[in-house]
Amino acid sequence: MSTFHAVIIGGGGTGGALAHDLVLRGLRVTLVERGELTSGTTGRHHGLLHSGARYAVKDKESAVECIEENRILRRIAPGSFEENDGLFVAISDEDVAYSEDFIEGCTACDIPLERLSREQALRVEPNLNPAVRFALRVPDATMDAMRLPLRFFATARRNGAEIRPFQEVVDVERGGQAVTGIAVRDHVTGRTETIGADIVINAAGPWCGQVADMVGVEVPIRPSPGVLLAVHGRLCNMVINHLHPSGDGDIIVPQRELSIVGTSSWVVDDPDDLSLPEEHIERMVEKGSELIPAVRTARFRAAWSAARPLIGPRGADTGRGADTGRELSRTFKCFDHIDEGVEGFITITGGKATTLRGMAEATANVVCQKLGIDQPCRTQEVTLLPHTAYYG
Amino acid sequence: MSTQSIVLRVARYKQGDPAPHMEEFTVEADRRTTILTALQEIRRTLDRTLALRHSCHHASCGTCGMVVNGREVLACVTPALEEAAGRVAVTVEPMQNAPLLTDLVVDMDPFYEKYNAAGMAYLRRSEHLAAADLPAGLAAFTRFENCLECGLCVSTCPIMGSDPTYLGPAALAAANRALEEPRDRDAAAVFRLVDRQAGCWRCHVAMECTAVCPSNVDPAGGIMALRQKVLRRRFGRLFRTAAD
Amino acid sequence: MTSLKSAKSPSSAPLRAWFDVRGRRLGGWAFALNRLSGLGLTLYLFLHLFVLRLLLQGEASWDAFIALARSPLFLTLDVILLAGLLIHGLNGVRVTLVGLGVAARQHRTLFWILMTAAALLLLAGGWRIFTI
Repeated sequence: MSTFHAVIIGGGGTGGALAHDLVLRGLRVTLVERGELTSGTTGRHHGLLHSGARYAVKDKESAVECIEENRILRRIAPGSFEENDGLFVAISDEDVAYSEDFIEGCTACDIPLERLSREQALRVEPNLNPAVRFALRVPDATMDAMRLPLRFFATARRNGAEIRPFQEVVDVERGGQAVTGIAVRDHVTGRTETIGADIVINAAGPWCGQVADMVGVEVPIRPSPGVLLAVHGRLCNMVINHLHPSGDGDIIVPQRELSIVGTSSWVVDDPDDLSLPEEHIERMVEKGSELIPAVRTARFRAAWSAARPLIGPRGADTGRGADTGRELSRTFKCFDHIDEGVEGFITITGGKATTLRGMAEATANVVCQKLGIDQPCRTQEVTLLPHTAYYG
Repeated sequence: MSTQSIVLRVARYKQGDPAPHMEEFTVEADRRTTILTALQEIRRTLDRTLALRHSCHHASCGTCGMVVNGREVLACVTPALEEAAGRVAVTVEPMQNAPLLTDLVVDMDPFYEKYNAAGMAYLRRSEHLAAADLPAGLAAFTRFENCLECGLCVSTCPIMGSDPTYLGPAALAAANRALEEPRDRDAAAVFRLVDRQAGCWRCHVAMECTAVCPSNVDPAGGIMALRQKVLRRRFGRLFRTAAD
Repeated sequence: MTSLKSAKSPSSAPLRAWFDVRGRRLGGWAFALNRLSGLGLTLYLFLHLFVLRLLLQGEASWDAFIALARSPLFLTLDVILLAGLLIHGLNGVRVTLVGLGVAARQHRTLFWILMTAAALLLLAGGWRIFTI
């Protein structure tokens, strides 16, 4: 009985979770990543384990995906989350008015909610803006953006997957209409080699459009960067969100002894060419200090940009009015390029850090269905190895 | 924002080369440019083969540890213009005391062999905002341990450079934390690990580990605290045996 | 990472590790100073034993050596030896204390206090060496 060989392009959270899933289903897996694992978008997010509450009003599909994966991840990756919950904080009259839709949305999506009075909120989070009216407690949590996905890589590798960082895809091999493998430049040795595959999965996040270009297929990916800001001081233990429709700088996530304020949004063509607009940094300070006034005076640690892999028509601002990309759907999508006549090549894109396992399950289902493999997904039940098991 | 041309002298090495060599690159930098973003710009526009580790870009993951102008730093929080000031070029080299894989990438396996042996749990109780109430149903606020596993302390430790069997500051600091919050970890095993010549006694107080740590771990303090614990345990045993 | 074959393993390189003080702070400098003085004192120990061997060769060669030992050059070397002993010894006191957690946060201050004491003792000792 021969084992099918799946090659995964992209060493972010999606790639790692997919490697883990496919290896459990008995496939031979090789994953290539042009840099360090999670050095794309995955490593750079603020570390939120989403409760989904942020999407409960406008994007219920995404909210439900989030809360389900939130629960699964806590079960399969114990010890990887600061399970301190989160608060959605109402400050203005508009916020108070919005809370009705918000509560209704969370309830509809089965996201647990608890109302805290102003006094209660200030007692659990003393650094909150004293003008807080009330807060809604949700099951947000904090993860380490790199180390959680690394657990998937560690487990996949222990189970036989070949994980190859510093190998950059430079071409996709074709045999007629089918994709038969990839050509990679090994940045450790400087040499190029080819890797044959029964199926190639494009999991390159906001770069998946560039990979798709090598094959000549279309992927509706719209790299949408945002700015994040880290300041010294653990100003909160819980995740603090602004109770209003999605906007810039409306979340503060604690990370060890830092506080991360995010984020903003614009659209680019090349996810490697990200600017760091000074106005966005200032906006983070401004908006962040509306939630926690101490943000304004806290000592600067870092400011950086990261490109979200949003699904939408490709191409940046066409001049038909500024499109910040914020209203695009946050769900993930798997594209089987047989629809464009190319066999052996699929793309998974979109999604959030929280839904990495779910994205992998959906993709692995497509992979197995294409290859005629009848194996159920087991990733909901398998406890992941600690991230330190990746090494040594 | 005004930009300035700076020169980076970067260590390059591909496996099969006889030895690393330095290459110079010129990039534009403004006051927000970090050594990391400068290196990324080199990779994007000048040399796609430049290999470096990075992930979080905010001193949380510890992967971008490098030696910049002779000092151990995390590249993502090291301002490029400050490093360039008063110099012809900024020297960027990989960390020391770890096997070199390529360019600025070192093999972290040996680091983790020692680090994992300490058995420190990754989550701890949060000592921050101690006066805050806990929300209903929460036993304690937790947070990740400070250590980013960056390897900067190991890179700068003069003992690590001369004795590869030494456990090193990161593993020893982790061992101290493991003893302070043991949970289900076997304390005796930790003592056996550290109470030997290549363990906590090999440190000669250069204090560089604490000086370079980007995350307030204070490994030197951890080693000293560890020695105190070891001595207390030894003396305790001595008196217990004498009393028997 | 079994798929990445490491080529350049760091072999034990004590001299570089001890004396490459680029980017080091006071603690690293003090460490290098102690290694240097330690090496110097060890070298001196061997020289001293070698010289003592002269005793076995009888009074004449010993007297010749003592004449040499009164020369200004030799007295200067004696002062350098004293400096090495004081620096290594007093810094060693600091290493012992700080290494057990005593005054760890004030290790820089402790260094300067002890080195000042060393300097004063060196001045006094040097004066004695040249005038006795």
